Amino acid sequence: MSAAAMSLRNGWRGLAFIAIPVTAIAIFLFYPAALSIIGTLVRPKDGGGYTFSLQSYVFFFTDSYSLTNLGRTLWTTVVTLILLIAVNLPIALYMRFTKGPLASVIQALALFPMFVPGIIICYALIRYMGPNGWLQSLLNLVGFHHYASPHLTPWGPVIGLIWDGMPLTLLILISGLSNISDASIEAARDVGAGRLRILVSIITPEITHSLLIVSALNFLGIFGQALMPFMLGPTNPEMMGPFMLRTFSSVRDPLQASTQATITFLICSLAGIAYVRSISRRPKEDRT
Amino acid sequence: MIFLSSRRFDFFGYGILLFLIFFIVLPVLTVFLWAFAEQWFYPAVLPTKWGFRFWSLVLARPDVWSAFATSIELSLTVTALSAVICLPAAYAFARMDFPGKSAFMMSFLMANAFPRFALIISIAVLFLSLDLVGTFTGVVIIQLLNTLLLMIWLPTAAFKAVSREMEEAARDVGATAWQVFRYVTLPQAFPTIAAALLMTFVWTFYETEGAWLVGAPRIRTMPLLMMQMINNQLVVQYGAVLSVMLWVPSLVAILMARRVIGGDAFAKGLGG
Repeated sequence: MSAAAMSLRNGWRGLAFIAIPVTAIAIFLFYPAALSIIGTLVRPKDGGGYTFSLQSYVFFFTDSYSLTNLGRTLWTTVVTLILLIAVNLPIALYMRFTKGPLASVIQALALFPMFVPGIIICYALIRYMGPNGWLQSLLNLVGFHHYASPHLTPWGPVIGLIWDGMPLTLLILISGLSNISDASIEAARDVGAGRLRILVSIITPEITHSLLIVSALNFLGIFGQALMPFMLGPTNPEMMGPFMLRTFSSVRDPLQASTQATITFLICSLAGIAYVRSISRRPKEDRT
Repeated sequence: MIFLSSRRFDFFGYGILLFLIFFIVLPVLTVFLWAFAEQWFYPAVLPTKWGFRFWSLVLARPDVWSAFATSIELSLTVTALSAVICLPAAYAFARMDFPGKSAFMMSFLMANAFPRFALIISIAVLFLSLDLVGTFTGVVIIQLLNTLLLMIWLPTAAFKAVSREMEEAARDVGATAWQVFRYVTLPQAFPTIAAALLMTFVWTFYETEGAWLVGAPRIRTMPLLMMQMINNQLVVQYGAVLSVMLWVPSLVAILMARRVIGGDAFAKGLGG
């Protein structure tokens, strides 16, 4: 068999091996997404045929309840994202530049939420920070009596989502920081650069890529969450996740649920495109 | 210390530790306290009466057992299906050359670039017209999609890590392609593949949102039962006992899996 024929055969076999998962992704991810987007735009007409209609979008964007929910989702996303980075960047920096038992303990604790399923996190947070929860008892013990529980307020989902997003955020930031060599920082110190200067001129440029990935993934993660906002957040206004869930399951209005999903897709496509672009720019070998 | 003076850095470290104790350790500890509390009235700092009474009450509930059976059946089905369709694909991505390889790999990563719940909604709308809502098959499909990425990318990395020299050496002494795979490639890749299977199983077991939207109320999995018990807060301990009972074995399993895989693989796989 000639080399060309061999590689052709190999190529077909490769394609056959990946055919089923690729088809599954196409049929059950891209097709429904496309279908629900098209389904909100092209509606069946009375007496047969189809017609183009923006009516469900007009409803969404004139319905003050829908708009408030969208606003609440954006607020939660932005606040959670800022807090996630504000909390995790110092931890990542600490772990990058320190070794020793304390750093290992911190690493173990900070990555721990990865091993806790979402439903158990919700339960733990409700019993801990909820009204008359353990945190309140502990605070009472030290003489603090003005605890206002964030449970069922807009801050409830923020706290839950930070819990949930912490390990991944931290891992990606640490992975980005590991690109910085000790030598480059020492060199900067030798020529008299201060701490702030090192942070701005050496560390920040190296982790821009990681920050971008972290922001994009968390944006998608927070926007695409239903469980945490449902369990920990208020019901009015609510985030897009529980809103879509209720529209689909309780109100039984799949058209409006699809419209809400499409609007979510559109807003998230910004983060999605940023994510895909930044991973496709990585060197090929790395991508597996 | 090259970045900050060491004493200040230690101080900083203890600050982080304190934050993590309050933010992460204490909430988890709360669950354990509740699981062994027979009576705990606010504002007592610790349970007023300890005991195992609620463990026997939980174990005596038929809905717990039926949800447990459903969840195990679902997780086994999904993990097995996922392995059957993903492992050959992982091998192809690691060892074969074919047209459009990187584009196909991208299409898997692109599944990450969608807001998850909006996708679940659009799948559920499609399932509504296919009569798959409220069926076991519907839940299997939606959970299977969840596992594809992990099940392809971890084994791909595992197959890539197998040394090509060893495979070629085996070919040179006359092994067939299948023998090379069976006796050289697979044994070396096996620990990572086993870890990926274990993680898929545990993740599927705890998958909540897809099962909730597509399965409820007819298919009731363990997380859905837990959700119901958490929301009807009549007996706080039920949720706590279930959490501890189920989560401790899965924690051990995941920790074992993670020893094999290592944290960096996750960050790298997601583009970090």
